[in-house]
Amino acid sequence: MSATIPPRRRALEQLVGFAPVLIFAGMLVHIGIQAPGFVSLLTLGLVLEQSLPVVLVCIGMSIVVMAGGEDVVAGGIDLSIPATTVLAAGILAQWLAADGGFVMACLLALGAALLVGATNAALVAWIGLTPLLASLAMFGAVVGVNNMVTASRRINVDHPIILWLRDAEIAGIAVGILCVAAFGLAAYHLLHRTRFGLHLQAGGGSVEAAEMVGLSARRHLAIAFLLAALTGFIAGFFVLARGSGSSPGVEDNLMLEMVLATYLGAAFSPRRVVTLWGAVLGALLVGAITIGFKSMGVNVFWLGLIKGALILTVVAFAALAKRGRA
Amino acid sequence: MSMANSPPMKDRIRGIFVRFGFLLIFAGFVTFFAAWNPVFLQGQNMLNIVEGSAVLLILALGMTLIVATGGIDLSVGIALDFGAAFAIVAMKEYDAGWVTAACAGVAGGSLVGIMNAILVVGLRVSPFMATIGTFFIGSSVQRIFTNGGGPISHRRMPDGFREIAMGDVMGIPLEVIIAATLALVYFVVLEMSVWGRRVHAMGMQRPAAIVAGIPVSRILIVAYIVAAATCAVAGLIGAASIRMFTPLAGFSYLLDAIAAVFIGAALHPRGRPNVLGTVAGVLFLGIVTNGLNLMGLNFNTKDALSGIILVAALALAVAQRKLR
Repeated sequence: MSATIPPRRRALEQLVGFAPVLIFAGMLVHIGIQAPGFVSLLTLGLVLEQSLPVVLVCIGMSIVVMAGGEDVVAGGIDLSIPATTVLAAGILAQWLAADGGFVMACLLALGAALLVGATNAALVAWIGLTPLLASLAMFGAVVGVNNMVTASRRINVDHPIILWLRDAEIAGIAVGILCVAAFGLAAYHLLHRTRFGLHLQAGGGSVEAAEMVGLSARRHLAIAFLLAALTGFIAGFFVLARGSGSSPGVEDNLMLEMVLATYLGAAFSPRRVVTLWGAVLGALLVGAITIGFKSMGVNVFWLGLIKGALILTVVAFAALAKRGRA
Repeated sequence: MSMANSPPMKDRIRGIFVRFGFLLIFAGFVTFFAAWNPVFLQGQNMLNIVEGSAVLLILALGMTLIVATGGIDLSVGIALDFGAAFAIVAMKEYDAGWVTAACAGVAGGSLVGIMNAILVVGLRVSPFMATIGTFFIGSSVQRIFTNGGGPISHRRMPDGFREIAMGDVMGIPLEVIIAATLALVYFVVLEMSVWGRRVHAMGMQRPAAIVAGIPVSRILIVAYIVAAATCAVAGLIGAASIRMFTPLAGFSYLLDAIAAVFIGAALHPRGRPNVLGTVAGVLFLGIVTNGLNLMGLNFNTKDALSGIILVAALALAVAQRKLR
């Protein structure tokens, strides 16, 4: 089919495919002109630091999408990661506030996070719930459990390690940024440079093909949910560092930004599929837009509208581009 | 699993679970709540459960229609909010009568459906992404309009409008009658009419439905608008009962509405979303909420428990269907 497409049409298709990227670039330029202080190393660092939890949950989300496939309802999606993040943050905060020791707090939070991941895996891979439904229901349940653990209160955390994550720098770069970068590289290595990672992606590409060559797509999807829960757990530390404690209600915005950034990231990949770096880039762009509009003095209430419109623009262009190819 | 060694017994238990699993759990919950607090089984409390489920049922009906088309609607709460907002503003700012206000509310809610229809049919965005986008835009619009999310109250609303939530016919609350009527209409349209069969056909096999000449786009447009208008009716009931518009109130129903539809679908022999199943799902959730309330638990504990019960119920319902 593709041989018969005239070159002009192909150019148009590519333009449509890159439209979301162009829109984002245009917005950033607009913000740069309107708020001249925005384009500086200082703001760049701020954007990076503020985006760390979103970057982490996006890494988790893209692992699940890669293992389960692109279909938003029946493929791989894990909406419960932000809930896992706030649960981990809540348990850490509660335990640290009670002077219970850092290691024990970590173990408890990790255990809870992995329990969420294992439940997701069981619901999807074993019982056969669609991932969207399972992870959405889990989101509600886990947020409920977190509100029970923290009694819906804000808990301040001033543990040295959390403060270190927030404030320390190595060679002028914030420690948090370095940690997340290292984690991202490790995740990239696992997904793209190991046999396990390629097997995992095979299931996401086509369950039938993967099973035909003897891979268990179901098992890999289950592991992907566990890995996603692990990223949720790690993101919990950065939620604590960013907010100097755990506050109720963080999960909603985190979920919005995760979905927006992950699927926005697909627009940056040559094949228009969800990728790790795409999701990370998406998360950073969403962070930049948020901070940019805030520094322009745009009313906070408008931010939801702008982000919602962005999601729709991106996915509409993605749908257009797909139709053009079909 | 001590039965594992004796297959006939295992098969028998499996057979019972496959046929009655969800029903048994349902009965188990009722027995447990009744044992905990005898008030649970009293007639007035049963009426409370039904009355408390009316708004959720209406929302879940809209969701059933969309899920039957093969989609999902994350913006049902926004349609509910818009229904309440348009009606309250019509009465407060424009001195509208109750009929005009109710029509304004339904029209306002339908705007949400029109937006979804444009996105899903016109731009071919997947229903999940389209309605999540509508959700965020709709939430933001409410924040902007109310300057941050403060409620708009209207104490002196026309009696007719107040009746929507407070009135009754022969002791049966009007909101229950409205919900039951809508459920009946949905049942007839979705399960008995040609249009309903077409909806199910395209929900099961979209390409086959297109080949068979079913006007898929037209059905989708109608479905999204009708679903949103239905949810707006739930908004009217909410606005009438508390005499105000509370921004973003609809969001709290979203998860329950989805859960009710999918519990209902899992109870269906072929796993299809269906009106009777949705009613059963809503009643199950209503019983759990009411029972937990009567146990006198603290709010956060109750919230966590109902979330966990919901996950378990979904898992059980789906497992039961898979084993068939």
